[in-house]
Amino acid sequence: MSLNDRIARGLESGWKVTDGATLTANHTAEADVVIVGTGAGGGTTAEILAKRGLSVILVEEGRLYYQKDFKMDELTSYANLYQEGMSRVTKDGAIAILQGRCVGGSTTVNWTSSFRTPDATLNYWGRQFGLEDLSPDAMAPWFAGREERHSMSPWDMAPNINNDILRQGCEKLGFSWQIIPRNVKGCWNLGYCGVGCPTNAKQGALLTTIPGALDHQTHMYHGLRADRLVMNQDRIESLQATAMASDGITPTSVQVTLKARHFVVAASAIGSPGLLLRSRLPDPYERVGKRSFIHPVNASVAKMPKLVDPFYGAPQSVYSDEFNFSSGVDGDVGYKLEVPPLHPAMSAGVVPGHGDAQVKNMASLPWMQSVIALLRDGFHADSPGGTVSLRDDGSPVLDYPVTDYLWQGLRRAFYTMAEIQFAAGAQRVRLMHLDSDWYSSWADAKAAIDALPMELHRVRLFTAHQMGGCGMGSDPKQSVVNSFGEHHHVSNLNIHDASIFPTSIGANPQLSVYALAARNSTRLAQRLRT
Amino acid sequence: MSNLLPRHENQDAASLNRRSFLRTGLGGALFLGTVSVTASLSGCATAPADRLGAVETRMDASYRFRFLTADDIDLFEALLPAILGSALPAQPNARRMAIAGTVERIDAGIHQFGPANQKELRQLFDLLNFGLTRITIARVWSPWPQVSTEQANGFLERWRSSGIGLFNNGYMALTKISNVAFYGYQENWHLSGYPGPPDWAVQALPQFRTS
Repeated sequence: MSLNDRIARGLESGWKVTDGATLTANHTAEADVVIVGTGAGGGTTAEILAKRGLSVILVEEGRLYYQKDFKMDELTSYANLYQEGMSRVTKDGAIAILQGRCVGGSTTVNWTSSFRTPDATLNYWGRQFGLEDLSPDAMAPWFAGREERHSMSPWDMAPNINNDILRQGCEKLGFSWQIIPRNVKGCWNLGYCGVGCPTNAKQGALLTTIPGALDHQTHMYHGLRADRLVMNQDRIESLQATAMASDGITPTSVQVTLKARHFVVAASAIGSPGLLLRSRLPDPYERVGKRSFIHPVNASVAKMPKLVDPFYGAPQSVYSDEFNFSSGVDGDVGYKLEVPPLHPAMSAGVVPGHGDAQVKNMASLPWMQSVIALLRDGFHADSPGGTVSLRDDGSPVLDYPVTDYLWQGLRRAFYTMAEIQFAAGAQRVRLMHLDSDWYSSWADAKAAIDALPMELHRVRLFTAHQMGGCGMGSDPKQSVVNSFGEHHHVSNLNIHDASIFPTSIGANPQLSVYALAARNSTRLAQRLRT
Repeated sequence: MSNLLPRHENQDAASLNRRSFLRTGLGGALFLGTVSVTASLSGCATAPADRLGAVETRMDASYRFRFLTADDIDLFEALLPAILGSALPAQPNARRMAIAGTVERIDAGIHQFGPANQKELRQLFDLLNFGLTRITIARVWSPWPQVSTEQANGFLERWRSSGIGLFNNGYMALTKISNVAFYGYQENWHLSGYPGPPDWAVQALPQFRTS
């Protein structure tokens, strides 16, 4: 393997990286800070603390995969890099959850879209949750710092056709559209961000903050599952963890105890509430796991007259916020419009069907285009979000009821997406709904959408953005942490991931996580060094 | 995930779970709590099929099943011709191989799903394999090895169009697992007009070099 690869080179140079599968006996280790999770939040925290001279242990349940493993193959990547082998769903099975489970977390498999938290969202947090210190002005330098760290800038190559069709449709209808900022350096424009960047262009945690932390003596365990935080009086004393076998799935009998002065949980909006609940940490107002948000996604596919090849090229480069804040921040639910890449397995999983009808659907993949709508949930009394709880085996599960308020938004999004696709010249459009046919005109599609039952399991729903569940706020009765991610009731615990968002973001969340984690880790480093 | 909770909590949670059974997800239907037990008492295969002898099956004898039982394999052998339709080769031997390979990839995929979703799928497959529930819930009268493609299609259509969300969910689970395992596999990429990763990139990238 080429030593030009940052990870291969680092491992060669003696980084402290332990694969849980290689452990044969129980053991104990200690550091200033133990961080659970290596995604956007954990990686950022580790690098900042380690560079300030603190000793850091990083814990990742998934395994370390890097360039040598990224062979642009969907089946291998979905099985290894995603939570529950890409089969994660909400409790009732109605919403598919796309979420990373590997070193780098979801930043290893995301589609690189890099948005600042919208001003309207930050201002809403100030008003509703007492988070005035996260105003757009106060956050601007943190966003700028992370944009530089992760090489984020608006995509300067031409959008692929899949994305350009969204642009064309918006142009025709007079809807606003913009170019998406991406966190890439020397991108080859291949289109495989979702299965692990094969060229090391993507500047996710895996190639930025994780190597930065490891260069500064951080000890990273992967294939190690955080079971519970153990309290001694009012402080956390240790993290109890279980080593996983090399399949990444089967727990071994090896137990690891990690001790520290301070603990940072950054295990995602599903994993972090799960860990806190298993640990039975103080939660006097029962806030842990509540107000979980997901940017519920519905989708529409179009058959275009010319080749789209939706599997090639930067997966996301054009978006429209025409409908995101058009009813105000807290009116009818807003939605962001984007485009997903369509590879064969992804398409076969997203487009419902079987038999010869499905054979025809799949055969038209090179001409297929898709638009997705990401609903901005959590800004309205009728969008209280879902709840993370524990299954009887202790694993976390998200229950997400879809309210009428959200169904109305999903129906409006169906209209918008179909109208855009026809405006851009689609021959036929099909909504991702069990009852949708292929429609050959906007009028037909519109009439069909009028009548589509908006019901769980019939509407195909997805989420790639999990947020909330350990929400931040100034009032401990309403929140789990304060605006610095500091736990209201446990003095040596911070939470540094998307679980602290008190609503959804209204944009792909990675930069929001990076920026808040950078801000809160800088403060934490000061605290721990004095 | 058996070690995640202390033992007594596990039991509390289990009894709580029984009370909320009717409301839970994919497998949480109706009768399922007892189906697995009953199925094993009545002689259904409930252990992973492990290695199947090449003589009595079409399977690659070197593949070791980790989740699917012999009955599950019968189920998928009956469903896949209906799910995949004319995407399956017509030539009998090639067709058998394509089905066998897809069943193996389904097994490998489910292994990676982890314990929670495996449990849900176990319940779904047991429900479909156990005679009484196969007849009453799936309305499939014959055991799966005797089910025609037409009958399998009828079952899929009933669950797809049902007004009961759990059945829609079962339809999605069965078709999604099968479609992903089939269309996502390199040898079937041509069926979706997908040429694979660009050759120039494969040539240029170090992870594809064999030496």
